[in-house]
Amino acid sequence: VEPVRTQGPLAAKPRPLLLNASLAVVRQLGGLAALVLIGIVVSPHDTRGGNIFMSDSNLFDILARVSNVGLLAVGMTLVVLTAGIDLSVGSVLSLGTVVAAMLLLERGWNPASILAAPCLALGAGLAAAALAGRAAAGGGRTAAARAGTLAFIIAAPLAGFGFASLLATGLPVPVILLAVMSVGLVVGCVNGLLVAYGGLQPFIATLSTMIGVWGLAWLVTGENNARRRIASDAAYAGFNWLGSRVGGVIPVPGLVLIAIVIAVHLIIRYTSVGRRLYAIGGSEEATRLSGVPVDRTKVLVYGCSGLLAALAGTLWAAQYHQGYPDAGLTKELDAIAAVVIGGTSLMGGRGGVTGTLTGVLMFGVLSNILQLKEFTTSWQRFATGGIIALAVLIQQGQVQALVKRYLVTLRGDKGR
Amino acid sequence: MKPGTRWTLLLAGALALTAGCNNGGSPPPAGDGASTTPGTAATGDTGGKKRTIGFSQVTVAEPWRAVFNDQLKAEAAKHDEVTLIMQDANDSTETQVQQMEGFISQKVDAILVSPKESAGLTDVVAKAYEARIPVIVLDRNVEGDDYTCFIGADNVEIGREAGKYAVQLLGGTGKAKGNYVEVWGGFGTKPSADRSQGFHEVVDKEPGMKLVGKKMDCDWKSEKAQIYMQGVLKLNPQIDLVYGHNDPMALGARAAAAEVGRAEKIKFLGIDALPKEGVKAVKDGELAATFLYPTPGAEGLRQALKVLTGESVEKKITLPTATITKENADEYSQ
Repeated sequence: VEPVRTQGPLAAKPRPLLLNASLAVVRQLGGLAALVLIGIVVSPHDTRGGNIFMSDSNLFDILARVSNVGLLAVGMTLVVLTAGIDLSVGSVLSLGTVVAAMLLLERGWNPASILAAPCLALGAGLAAAALAGRAAAGGGRTAAARAGTLAFIIAAPLAGFGFASLLATGLPVPVILLAVMSVGLVVGCVNGLLVAYGGLQPFIATLSTMIGVWGLAWLVTGENNARRRIASDAAYAGFNWLGSRVGGVIPVPGLVLIAIVIAVHLIIRYTSVGRRLYAIGGSEEATRLSGVPVDRTKVLVYGCSGLLAALAGTLWAAQYHQGYPDAGLTKELDAIAAVVIGGTSLMGGRGGVTGTLTGVLMFGVLSNILQLKEFTTSWQRFATGGIIALAVLIQQGQVQALVKRYLVTLRGDKGR
Repeated sequence: MKPGTRWTLLLAGALALTAGCNNGGSPPPAGDGASTTPGTAATGDTGGKKRTIGFSQVTVAEPWRAVFNDQLKAEAAKHDEVTLIMQDANDSTETQVQQMEGFISQKVDAILVSPKESAGLTDVVAKAYEARIPVIVLDRNVEGDDYTCFIGADNVEIGREAGKYAVQLLGGTGKAKGNYVEVWGGFGTKPSADRSQGFHEVVDKEPGMKLVGKKMDCDWKSEKAQIYMQGVLKLNPQIDLVYGHNDPMALGARAAAAEVGRAEKIKFLGIDALPKEGVKAVKDGELAATFLYPTPGAEGLRQALKVLTGESVEKKITLPTATITKENADEYSQ
């Protein structure tokens, strides 16, 4: 599946397919496997001699810990594949935690519900329009557009009023989840519109939403009451389940991450919409000339990234029992690092979400090892920086090239 | 003459006037002697005379500060003559210095300040003090002696109280036995160092009590405490007590224990005792106890008014703590 390298030191001789494929696997999983090996070797042991690193609870802990950044990274991968970048995901996560916590804890109209209501209406309307448009696509473009508009007009107010009517008695958890994701979707679509139709560089467009949405998250909580604690009361059991562990072992956020990774992987590999992302990242102009709706696809991609970031925020709120407008601070950088380590090129057109998952897990394993060895936060940051550089060097074949050049020089010296 | 120059001259004049009577051991309450700052002239009457009091709060983005502000506002509402100007320094020394300078040039009657940090605010507090405006420093002190009054709580004492309670929970003086975890606030912050010191003064005398888990900076944040505690729990099968330098961290540590079904086997102690946070958690049985870190705002205003009516005030006022358990939690719910 990995595109064949056309340049670089490894491209010199064509190799048998099997060897190529296994090299790709090694490249993708090698780093993770190496880290796991290190984890097993250095892990402390419990009183019965068991390896703490390899214990079920620890491995699932790693999955739980990476689930938030993982979801950001999946959305980021989609954007990066189109040769874009989304710096706003950390802020959207923050906003997501805040809106989720407030919708859960407070009844009636407040800044969170005032923000969420139109977003949910818009989100529901767009979703209905997309479905109806697809259903009516057989009848030509105008029929599809008409069906879509009609569906939007019906669905949007319905969702808005439904949401408003539930506000007084308390929102069910699925509604909270949909409302928060709609907020993320809308922020993401704003990014997409700025990039696709506003002609802004993705970096600039999402930098401005990153800062703006961070401010918005603080405005929504009200600066005097920034942290909304979600107590372990029975009334919040449904929401708290989102951050809990099934059977006390398997983390719900981890399951969500894996499900999303599988779904997104299938979509971008095997549907025409998915393949468009690679095409746009490969050559935007060529893709545009071949009749692909590049701008709409970009809005969709940034919208998805925002939606996943808001989902990550909801799960964060459930895991850490609070809404907090600084929750996602600098998490966009972790996500970008995971994407790059996972082998997706920042130039676009190359990579995928399974690689990103590997990258995210590498971070998770590394910080877990450092935690089990009781290294301080500063050491964890220091080591993480080093690992990023090293992983990408290996990823791009730079280290291999250096070694090769060194060997060649040695041989040359002997020959002389 | 440009306005800026005029201010400078006025200030220089005020400095020159105050310099003479400022080198004695007891700094004078503002108002006696020089009348260059008319607002502070003490007349002895409380009624009738309007009092404008400026307050610079380092940040409002912490629940404790929010309660601090609420309690100060409630106290101000009790005094009809007081107009309180509240400003938020957004956690920036620079902004706070500018706000203080603003208060000085507005010639407010008194200034309350809860500094971001000692060193950065010392000069401007001294400047106000030398301009004969009473300055009441709250919570974190500045360096030197050029302020009217400092009001704060004693974190070492709070730590001691927490230590005593921990010893009691684990078997009593001389017999206490068990493994405990200490969840640190911020390395290099004085409250954390003091809360730790006081706790260890008491607990370290107990040979049966053993500290487990490496000292780790959790930055006062519950989510960081939760992540820290996840690691400590894996490495230590036996944990009996957790001492958090604030309530949110104690609750974060508890959440980690709850994830692996160990929350009920561990006693959790926190500090701050905010009504909706720590006190509620004690009532709900999530924390065994929390220790009051009182807010100094209301007392600060009372002291400022005392100075303005010519009464003398103590240079340093320490607000007492309280141990809050399920028995007395209701008294602290407001």
